[in-house]
Amino acid sequence: MTTSTSWEPADADEMVAALADARSAGQAVEVRGSGSVLDRIPGGDEPVLSTAALDGIVDHAPEDLTVTVRAGMAFDELAQELAQHGQECPIEPIVDDGATVGGRLATGLAGPRQLGAGRVRDWVLRVRFITGDGHPASAGGVTVKDVTGYDVCRLMTGSWGTLGVITEVTLKLRPIPRQPAWFATETPDPTVAARLYRPAAVVTTAERTHVLLEEHPDDAAAQAADAGLEPAAAPTFPATARAALDPAALPGFLAELQHANSSPEGAALQVTAQGQLGLCHLDGSADALARARSVVERHGGRLLVLDPALGLAAFGSGHAPDAMTNRVTAALDPDGRLAPWRWER
Amino acid sequence: MLLRLRAILDTDGLTDGLRTSHLGRATYRRDASFLNADPLAVALPRTVEQTAEVLRACRDHGIPITPRAAGTGLAGGATPTGEAGARPVVVSVARMDQLRELDVANRRAWVEPGLVNARLGRAAAAHGLRFAPDPASQIAATLGGNVATNAGGIHVLTYGVMSQHVLAVELMDLDGEVHLLDGRAPEQGGLDLRAVSVGGEGTLGIVVGACLRLLPAPPATGTLLAGFPSLDAAAATVGALVTSDRLPDAVELMDARAIELVEGYAQAGYPQDAAAVLLLEYEGLPAGVDAGAATAERLASEHGATSVVRAADSDQRARIWKGRKAVAGAIAKQAPDFYLQDVVVPRSRLGEMLDTVVTIGERERLTILNVVHAGDGNLHPFILFDRREPDVLDRVFAAGHDIVETALRLDGTVTGEHGVGIEKRDFLGQVFDADSLAVQQAVRDAIEPTRLANPDKVLPTTVGCGEARMVPEGAWV
Ligand SMILES: Cc1cc2nc3c(=O)[nH]c(=O)nc-3n(C[C@H](O)[C@H](O)[C@H](O)COP(=O)(O)OP(=O)(O)OC[C@H]3O[C@@H](n4cnc5c(N)ncnc54)[C@H](O)[C@@H]3O)c2cc1C
Ligand SMILES: Cc1cc2nc3c(=O)[nH]c(=O)nc-3n(C[C@H](O)[C@H](O)[C@H](O)COP(=O)(O)OP(=O)(O)OC[C@H]3O[C@@H](n4cnc5c(N)ncnc54)[C@H](O)[C@@H]3O)c2cc1C
Repeated sequence: MTTSTSWEPADADEMVAALADARSAGQAVEVRGSGSVLDRIPGGDEPVLSTAALDGIVDHAPEDLTVTVRAGMAFDELAQELAQHGQECPIEPIVDDGATVGGRLATGLAGPRQLGAGRVRDWVLRVRFITGDGHPASAGGVTVKDVTGYDVCRLMTGSWGTLGVITEVTLKLRPIPRQPAWFATETPDPTVAARLYRPAAVVTTAERTHVLLEEHPDDAAAQAADAGLEPAAAPTFPATARAALDPAALPGFLAELQHANSSPEGAALQVTAQGQLGLCHLDGSADALARARSVVERHGGRLLVLDPALGLAAFGSGHAPDAMTNRVTAALDPDGRLAPWRWER
Repeated sequence: MLLRLRAILDTDGLTDGLRTSHLGRATYRRDASFLNADPLAVALPRTVEQTAEVLRACRDHGIPITPRAAGTGLAGGATPTGEAGARPVVVSVARMDQLRELDVANRRAWVEPGLVNARLGRAAAAHGLRFAPDPASQIAATLGGNVATNAGGIHVLTYGVMSQHVLAVELMDLDGEVHLLDGRAPEQGGLDLRAVSVGGEGTLGIVVGACLRLLPAPPATGTLLAGFPSLDAAAATVGALVTSDRLPDAVELMDARAIELVEGYAQAGYPQDAAAVLLLEYEGLPAGVDAGAATAERLASEHGATSVVRAADSDQRARIWKGRKAVAGAIAKQAPDFYLQDVVVPRSRLGEMLDTVVTIGERERLTILNVVHAGDGNLHPFILFDRREPDVLDRVFAAGHDIVETALRLDGTVTGEHGVGIEKRDFLGQVFDADSLAVQQAVRDAIEPTRLANPDKVLPTTVGCGEARMVPEGAWV
């Protein structure tokens, strides 16, 4: 992506000034973390507001199980810092792609451990951000429990840079599991999940079903033996496209895809599913993904495609915002300064 | 207007869908807080369609509504306050109380808003499942109320608050239209309006249904009771537990006054010489539970615990929890009135916060007992009093106010689970700066543009207004 203008503000004040700049030039901007996803959304050369200079930990309070970081900090660097204290925030991406903490929040795409650990939004305690009309604001607090006012923290999570520029984030932490271990079935068998007590992840590829157990090693061994699991490597995820749909609709969706897959042109589709979550990660040709999208949307779901070379929209019609969404967006970004084109690309 | 409501609600020969008499309104004047006010009328719709028509009627006449479920709220959220001439209609969802669908395969339940929390728990248990949010009021409070307040409970430390267990919300706006929030495709694109509706406290419309996440019941449970010679020692143990390599699933703290009170009432076997007890629970698979419990025993002893008991069986476990759950009942026997506060501080400030609560009680000559979701830093000081005592209310409110101010001074916040309602509303100017409050207001107006849904609640009417008032004008205690 080539860019016409760009800003790289060093702090929240400079971020406000940069937004004012863009505003006086009559421009709308794209907020950019590391660009790992943004650069894969078909787009023009809009002005970019980068969070790259908002780096580093502001405060880590191990005894409170919280950490406050600037939004541009790389997630894996944060993870390394936390690991030195035996702590983690289990919202790492499915691919190690240089993602920023702000980008993790803004996309809200949960990582491989979502089944056990919950969504990204469940780990966010406080967000500082600049609204589209240039006001620095915050939501949430540094305590682990807080019902003071509306949950704007979770609203910012998954807002894809359309409500505000996230400048600082406070995350909830937990102890790192002592001996996490991946196991797998011999053949694909998503039903194995039902025979395990709260596995951290269950991921079904074309070859087998991978299971991550984070329990006490004795428990993990017993569970694995009961469910007929063998130690295995972690799965890798196709990362061209990601489907999200009602878990109850997922088997039907997969069956339809498999049907398409048996025809010659459908064979170009790799599918990895996290069935309990209604998630599928896909690689495939433009045709195959276009067809997958129409099937997902027919099942009431959404397909995100992140490869501009395919000529497919990133979001698709399943993402078309409703009236309430538009009103909420306008409430924080009244003049449409923050990627007003987001869901159309 | 009332005629129109009656026509909507009294169909099929039923005649009790609308209450307009003084007596009929009386029980809907307040929730479980002190704050109370007189509604215009009380509507008790039986169906979503009736609810929609009630809301449209109110909208057409510009009459505000106050959503209500079981009325166990503690922040005045369901108290029908309103200016003279604009008294609200209470819209109770209590009659919409069915479990619509228990989807065992996908571990979720679709519920009507008036379904009582514990009833879902029982239905799920029959399939080896559980609904994790367990507020102490779960035998009475409804799931709609739990959604609307983003309720907490005893197992928040590892399971999270209500929001983490709400997959979708059906939110009805004042036009009677139902919005399915986050239901179609979980996550991925589109704003998480579900999150805002959870904890909306009736100000964003009426929750007419919800899809809730169920979890498998844990195969093993380890419950411990530890007695400590001081509050500080107990608080320090909490700090050590949350930084140990396995988080307990529940960490509750009770101080000496609470121990003494419940013992007389519930005979839970708490050590009577202790200045504080911790109730700890580990859930999951057996080896992990044992390892966790062993760590807890060690840490408690290292921090000076005078007794540590691990429940040998489910009877003993139930007895340990009985003491914790009996607090409100025990208080009701002892003192005619209590004011239950709800504040949160970072866990590392817990000891400091508890000490200050003691000082505040001494200064105001009030008995305050502490029951704390200690793992979350969430304090529930119960202030006991007898309202017939002259001037006691001034002291009660002064103490409550100081407790909140102290939490704020310690980087904490004004409510961890009971909500803002009216009680905490005027503190929001201290929690948020003007821009952040403006964001709150803008989000609220975007979701509920008519400003008829519970209008006085949650946000201060004039943004940034000063001193908090515990008793709003027009309300009496
Ligand atoms: C095809 C594909 C599928 C993926 N699927 C998954 C998955 O299933 N699970 C998973 O865990 N990870 C997934 N990822 C990776 C994940 O999305 C990234 O790791 C990360 O979240 C993006 O971070 P970034 O800093 O690179 O953000 P960018 O690519 O720079 O930005 C992504 C979006 O976030 C916004 N944004 C970024 N920073 C801010 C900020 N500070 N304030 C406001 N808005 C901001 C941008 O405007 C943009 O809309 C996927 C990646 C790809 C390419
Ligand atoms: C002894 C006792 C112990 C308690 N323990 C806990 C605890 O451990 N954890 C905790 O979190 N809370 C606790 N509470 C507080 C209370 O039980 C919770 O806030 C509960 O969620 C309220 O549910 P309810 O059905 O009683 O709602 P109500 O009190 O009727 O209403 C609460 C609020 O939600 C709104 N509301 C209710 N239903 C709807 C709906 N369908 N749509 C929109 N808005 C609605 C109301 O307008 C009001 O603002 C306790 C209360 C008592 C009395």
